[in-house]
Amino acid sequence: MKSLLNTLTVVVMLAVVSIANATPEQDKESFQRFYTERFPDITMEDFGNGVYALDQDARNQWEAMNDFPPYEDDLEKGGELFNTAFANGKNYASCFENGGGNIRQNYPMFDTKRNTVITLELAINECRVANGEKLLPYKKGELAKIAAYMTSTSEGSPINIVIPNNGKALAAYQAGKQYYYSKRGQLNFSCSNCHIQNVGRKARSETLSPALGHTSHFPVYRMKWESFGTLQRRFDSCNKQVRAEPLEGQSEDYRNLEYFLTYMSNGLPVNGPASRK
Amino acid sequence: MINIKHVVLIFCLLTLTASVFAAKATKSDAEESIQSAQQLWDKSIAVGHEWNTVKPLVAQAKQAMETNDFAAAVALANRAAEQAELSLVQAEHEKTNWVNNLPK
Ligand code: HEC
Repeated sequence: MKSLLNTLTVVVMLAVVSIANATPEQDKESFQRFYTERFPDITMEDFGNGVYALDQDARNQWEAMNDFPPYEDDLEKGGELFNTAFANGKNYASCFENGGGNIRQNYPMFDTKRNTVITLELAINECRVANGEKLLPYKKGELAKIAAYMTSTSEGSPINIVIPNNGKALAAYQAGKQYYYSKRGQLNFSCSNCHIQNVGRKARSETLSPALGHTSHFPVYRMKWESFGTLQRRFDSCNKQVRAEPLEGQSEDYRNLEYFLTYMSNGLPVNGPASRK
Repeated sequence: MINIKHVVLIFCLLTLTASVFAAKATKSDAEESIQSAQQLWDKSIAVGHEWNTVKPLVAQAKQAMETNDFAAAVALANRAAEQAELSLVQAEHEKTNWVNNLPK
């Protein structure tokens, strides 16, 4: 009897370890399957519309508002900034593949030379520094406008995050995954506790959106912010909700989290920038 | 036999001693409490589980210290330390338990 118990314990432990160490591909499949089984009537694409895929009343209001998107001016400004030459005569286009057009779906990417995750926002700022310009603040302002413009040129392109089969890349992915599932803050909630385990339920007066599609439309213009904010600005808002201290923009933990979370939405079309409450 | 009067008396004495001690918080008590809160707070940052309740408590403790309200400084710093300690417990717990939150 005792040995049977021991065997059982080992089997359970192995199962737990194997879920924790599933390959990114397996993770993505079970992550996407969780939502498609839970919401069989929602199309893959519609998950990118967040809470509006679940709540028809909210969606009606949102669609009415989008007849004249609140971000139009800021998006236009982002395009102007993107196309303005640096003091040295070069421009953003010179730093990116394809002149910076239609590339959003490939970010964040893992740089195998530097062994770190490069988000679009980080790449924009590194482009500036390489051309003798000063860093822009992360999370909002001009940087978010430029990123929003670049995102708009990827409209419809499927998210295509690559995780090279190399120890460092897998470690970055794994760190992001562990961040996502770890409880934090005084309220002791993980990201998943709201966006997976309680998806579709209400937290205060807000419906909790599915995490599938969470990254497809950033930067987002939030009515509350009255401006664009990057994905990491949204991480801040969610961290504060559980009374966890937000991290610095482009800190390693946030970049790894963004890497993991965006990979989970691989295959969904880019549909940003977008507006939210 | 225990007399209720004795109990009341002992209780009063205890309260009195406690309040004398509390009132006696000195500048160095306050400094010490703030320092140990700070250390726990730093640890919580290092393990990636900082709670946003700690920073304001430490700031308030420092403020109380500046107005020479050492008892308040000690109390606030102790609350900060307690929060930071709980966040360290959380960090330790999540090292293995995060897997329970995966989609099932
Ligand atoms: C206490 C519940 C809660 C927790 C925990 C939480 N969030 Fe949120 N999150 C919300 C609410 C509420 C919103 C706004 C409504 C919505 O879209 O779900 C939101 C929105 C978002 C959005 C924007 C969705 C969109 O459509 O644009 C993202 C991305 C997001 N959360 C990611 C995260 C991440 C990453 C974490 C962990 C660091 C996290 N959330 C933790 C409640 C939570």
